[in-house]
Amino acid sequence: MSASATESPVERGSLLAGGTRTRLLQAGPAEASEAVVFVHGNPGSADDWEGLIAAAASTGRRALAVDLPDFGDTIAPDGFEHTTIGYATFLGEALQELGVECAHLVLHDFGGPIGLVWVAMNPEALASITLIDTGILPGYRWHSLARIWRTPVLGELFQATATRPAFRMLLNKNEPRGLPRDFVEAMYDHYDRRTRKAVLALYRDTDDPGSAAPELTKLLAPRDIPALVVWGEEDAYLPSSYAERQSEAFPSADVHVLPASGHWPFADAPETVERLLTEFLAGLPESSS
Amino acid sequence: MPSTDSRSPIIGDGPAYDAVIVGGSLAGCAAAIQLGRAGLRVALVEKQPDPKAYKRMCSHFIQASGVPAIERLGLLEPMEATGALRPRMHMWTRWGWIEAPPERAARGLNLRREVLDPMVRSTAAETPGVEMLLGWSAERLLRDGGTFAGVAVRNREGEERELRARLTVGADGRDSKIAELSEVPVKTYPHNRIAYGGYFEGPPSPHSPDSVIWFLDPHWAASFPTDSGLNFYAAMPTKERLPEFKRDPEAALVKFLADVPEPPPIRDSRAIEPVIGKIDMTNRVRKPVAPGLALIGDAALAADPLFGVGCGWAFQSAEWLSDSVRPALQGEESLEQGLEHYRRRHAHELRAHAFFIHDYSNGRRFNPAERLMFSAAARDSRSAELMEAFGTRQIRPQQMMPRALPRAIAVNVRHALAR
Repeated sequence: MSASATESPVERGSLLAGGTRTRLLQAGPAEASEAVVFVHGNPGSADDWEGLIAAAASTGRRALAVDLPDFGDTIAPDGFEHTTIGYATFLGEALQELGVECAHLVLHDFGGPIGLVWVAMNPEALASITLIDTGILPGYRWHSLARIWRTPVLGELFQATATRPAFRMLLNKNEPRGLPRDFVEAMYDHYDRRTRKAVLALYRDTDDPGSAAPELTKLLAPRDIPALVVWGEEDAYLPSSYAERQSEAFPSADVHVLPASGHWPFADAPETVERLLTEFLAGLPESSS
Repeated sequence: MPSTDSRSPIIGDGPAYDAVIVGGSLAGCAAAIQLGRAGLRVALVEKQPDPKAYKRMCSHFIQASGVPAIERLGLLEPMEATGALRPRMHMWTRWGWIEAPPERAARGLNLRREVLDPMVRSTAAETPGVEMLLGWSAERLLRDGGTFAGVAVRNREGEERELRARLTVGADGRDSKIAELSEVPVKTYPHNRIAYGGYFEGPPSPHSPDSVIWFLDPHWAASFPTDSGLNFYAAMPTKERLPEFKRDPEAALVKFLADVPEPPPIRDSRAIEPVIGKIDMTNRVRKPVAPGLALIGDAALAADPLFGVGCGWAFQSAEWLSDSVRPALQGEESLEQGLEHYRRRHAHELRAHAFFIHDYSNGRRFNPAERLMFSAAARDSRSAELMEAFGTRQIRPQQMMPRALPRAIAVNVRHALAR
């Protein structure tokens, strides 16, 4: 994706956190207690972030991503709670294992609610936040696909009939520029039975993704945490009108609504997102670790 | 430049001029030059007293269709000598770049209005037979029965003059006073985008000296390299983006252009003057003739600036008018016939173009037919060539459609099968 990828090669490994053996993608100084932490959405995996991890590491910071349990190649242990709180707890455990005490979160899609719940549990550990087509969503009504997933039987039927061509067509139908074929194929490769089941459980447990908005805003706004908001203007799942509204919780947010981009700007406008993220990270105070 | 007050006020029954033209910008000056060179007596009235005045809110881009008219005026070489660039056009769409083969792509013209307007005005003022009246505004139209017979003008000191002429020409822009006074029929079409732009100095854009436009659907952005190493950057988003542009026009313009796909180097550039914007750009289509009167340029057809047709069509409509009425003003036919020739020519050349421009200017997204043709043009060089010829207004929609549409279907079917 970028020249910086060759300067900061991303290392692939694994990590045991909260009983889950997860994949770990990491670059930059591995011992640093301050890190740029990428949290993927649905469907997605740590692979989503490979290019941006390299780019973030090029600013001299530690950068990493893990698969959320039952996403990517990672299998959740028995009894894992496929809920926002369950995933946020896993994220906290993973960061603890990695020795990350101070995080620059980069969140996408459902990684938003998960990351924000972790923030609510660890507000002092948040150094900055980058929201990519996600964030605090007051008054949000689930998109049509989520409503299907949330409906018993219908959701199972949908998942059972999500063949590769159907998945490819559905994804590209809602993307203004289409998505790179490799990106979509890799996404489908990871969209196995476990992931499909996890998606149903996660969405069915989340009645209102905007329900915590007032409390989060009250908690975060006075802290004025450095924030970058990047949103594809033509996001078919989470409307770009929410981009500006992130300033309610992050008053100094630098908001970029990318014209002609959809729900995955880091896939359809990778250079732009990389530039925005690296500039944002480079403009933050020096790492203390 | 001749003195504006070299003649005494003209008051009397007989027309002192063959034509009085109100508006000393591109269209008015071009018409004055053409008519003056035909040996006719022309009064050219401009409300700005400064001969170096120029239109500020303009992308200054002249489509290739306007170049022959400029060449005929003898202005092409002087413009190039002053640093005008001859850009081709590159269009970004979500399906990829639309670029006609370089050897077949037409070249437009880019020269800042700050340079262009004084050049055209001085050429008009130096044309024998043309009397330039700077600092005079149209007050009312003179009539001879049911025919317009000139215009009464007033200067800033309150002095009034009656300029009687066989032909009165309104070349006074989008908000034409002459059109308003003559009460010619007008149709308006809503415009739901805003326009902000400004000149920057900095690194050349990757396609320089060519012009680049981004069809962000529904937003739009452009980069026009121009003379003196400058670049005009423009954004035309829908009105939802107005608050951020109002808050800080320059910051919003830079952010907007920097966030487009394959962006130009605007962030490494510096604005040399304040970024300015226009919010109301209601399209106006007026009947371009009335008895003894004609409208040219934006006064006749004020189209969406998004397509950069204003400057070129100003030169072209001035040419069509002067060609149409010259025989009449030289006594070879009636003025009524000459004006009818002009009306037909104007409609023939621009009506269909205008229809499509108005249709898109409400801020909507591409319709299915546009998606079909733009996607094909991004995938096929022959389709790109047709799209470029249409976009640079060298062929009319009715010439483009029968060739482009079947090809677009074939190209997209092939593309779908290949996937």
